[in-house]
Amino acid sequence: MTTMLYWQALNRALDEEMAQDENVFLLGEDVGLYGGTYRVSEGLLAKYGEWRVRDTPISENSFTGLGVGAAMLGLRPVVEIMTINFALLALDALINMAAKIPFMSGGQFPMGLTVRMPGGVAKQLGAQHSQRLEHTLMNVPGLRIVVPVTPQDAYWQLHQAIRSDDPVIVLEHEMLYFRKAELETAGTALPMHAALVRRAGRDLSCIAYSRMVEVALAAADELAKEGIEMEVVDLRSLSPIDWETCVQSVAKTHHALVLEEDCRFAGAGAEIVASLQERCFYYLDRPIQRVAGIDLPTPFNAALEAASIPDVQQVIKATRDLLHTQGDSA
Amino acid sequence: MKHEITMPVLSDTMQTGRLTRWNKAVGEAVKKGDALAEVETDKAILDVEAFQDGYLAGPLAPVDTDIPVRSAIAWLVDSKEELDASTDAQDAAPAVPQAPVAPPKPQQAAERTAPAPKTPAQQSVQKENPPPTVPSHSSPLPASPTLADGARASPYARGLAQELGIDLRSLGSGPIDSRAVLAAALRGPLPDLTAGPSYQMERLPGMRAAAARNMQDAVYTPTFQITARLPLAALQARAKASKQSLTLALARACALTVAEDPWFNHLWTPQGLAKRERVDVAIAVDTGDALLTPVLRDAARRPVKELAEDWRILLGKIKRGRLAPEDYRGGTFYLSNLGVFDVVHNFDAIVPLGAAAILAIAATQADGNSEFTLSCDHRVIFGADAARFLQRLRDRVADPSWLDS
Repeated sequence: MTTMLYWQALNRALDEEMAQDENVFLLGEDVGLYGGTYRVSEGLLAKYGEWRVRDTPISENSFTGLGVGAAMLGLRPVVEIMTINFALLALDALINMAAKIPFMSGGQFPMGLTVRMPGGVAKQLGAQHSQRLEHTLMNVPGLRIVVPVTPQDAYWQLHQAIRSDDPVIVLEHEMLYFRKAELETAGTALPMHAALVRRAGRDLSCIAYSRMVEVALAAADELAKEGIEMEVVDLRSLSPIDWETCVQSVAKTHHALVLEEDCRFAGAGAEIVASLQERCFYYLDRPIQRVAGIDLPTPFNAALEAASIPDVQQVIKATRDLLHTQGDSA
Repeated sequence: MKHEITMPVLSDTMQTGRLTRWNKAVGEAVKKGDALAEVETDKAILDVEAFQDGYLAGPLAPVDTDIPVRSAIAWLVDSKEELDASTDAQDAAPAVPQAPVAPPKPQQAAERTAPAPKTPAQQSVQKENPPPTVPSHSSPLPASPTLADGARASPYARGLAQELGIDLRSLGSGPIDSRAVLAAALRGPLPDLTAGPSYQMERLPGMRAAAARNMQDAVYTPTFQITARLPLAALQARAKASKQSLTLALARACALTVAEDPWFNHLWTPQGLAKRERVDVAIAVDTGDALLTPVLRDAARRPVKELAEDWRILLGKIKRGRLAPEDYRGGTFYLSNLGVFDVVHNFDAIVPLGAAAILAIAATQADGNSEFTLSCDHRVIFGADAARFLQRLRDRVADPSWLDS
């Protein structure tokens, strides 16, 4: 057991995969000499050389397409897109190629492609650099999406993504790279798509992913002081979603709150709520509620930016509103 | 001028009404006070009267359909000319609910909430663009729709209510959640206060509330009663001679009798039978505004003198209002003596939770006999046990030579 930052955990997973399998290689802007925007590929160029750690031009669709081609030939490329906002330029490679080639070729071509990309509201990066586009990618059949929140999950899930023969998007939150936590490198990892109950609770289930899991856990601490026990379910994977874990939680608590940083309208939370109510309707004691980002391009102004995404107080308020019932005389 | 006729609110609890018939037809002239229609509420059938002279205008709300209170059921117009205009225009329709019944309040942000049946009026609004919505992290909780049975309840509450046989309509307008249903299941049905005269609601003082709760809890005990006439004169005389309280003497007699048959000292629990090692006799004491049960500990094995001293201390605490939980909790056998009320020939008592039996003693009659009624938890004690208990108690009170020992 050792303590590690989130980016270090990713770096270690990359290092181990590259050491173990020469088919694993890195592609992306500044992944080589510079060591990656968030230091995730630091030291790997020196160790594995230019052939396997390749700096690319600023041309997302081209180098992601290059990754797709390499994966078709059986390699295991790990593409870093500097931020998810730039992935919009690579959607043809991701959606039309990576997600579809295995299907359209009747399984003749493998697609062991891993695409890592940071996203989310960080510190005043502006509307074009603060997006969370999980809903765009969730809507693409054929892609797997993981959203690790801890260094441990970053480590396990990047390993699993590289080992997967399906294309996997690893969504990393920009605010998480410098989170420090203990890392277990031996032992068995949870399945890549499995959700995890990060905190057990009796009164309601808060279903969250990525950085919002931290917000949920902080809110749960506060709520515990007033006797409300909130269970926090970390989805860990947005495609597929581990419904079984969610349903078990809601069947126990009868109340569900879905928490997401992304915009509310047609977001990941909308899918989660819809699917949950299909599976849990008769367990529910209140309508499932969402706490989500405001439907708005992220403001640059720091105060407005902070106000545009959920925080601990909003989760606490939503929880109180959810559990409080009018006409509750008991 | 066109006036709305609405579903009247005819009782505190009424949320919907059902028209049983229309007495007037559209276009008919009506006078103030005329019975236009009959409405069936949750309690009675009453008339909907015209509030002024005029002509009845449609469309009329249908009969035999639950209609939320205060929603339009028809219209009154002042003149015949208006009647035609009104009927042709159809610019507004009374709330004609489909099943399920439309919510009484207009749906805010109807495009985002659960599909509610829309009246023609609402539909015409829907054709225009909805106003831009203010960005928000979370939407307000929607008003849950009123369903066919008139109750707004969560799916989970609804399922529970069905399983537990709870009528959701008895739980108010809601939204009803599982807690309300479970609470209703535990407390049983409630009286309908609206049926009687007006009243003031007062909270029960603590001791009374506790007694009420204890009695409520006792309803889960399956009990039977058995009554015997016992000669009490000898014990009375003996107690008087030795300056003992008769209640104390009876408590002692009971304790000795319980000690002979430990079943009376056992307690049923779901885990098994709790066999207590000591007979602690609790005695009901009337203080005017509370019912207290001070306990004489180990009443079968300690000398009467000691018990008498305990009893004196307990009564002193009661007088000062200082009886503590350790003084009144944990009796293993209960005694209730109403002997001072000479009009009471016989009564029975409720077996408190925590004991297997309680003995109720009525006043001594002219022949020197009193009626003793033993109430028993039938899970522990059977009829013959109780009969033998009373026989032995009879022997003991008939020959009270044991009292001074």
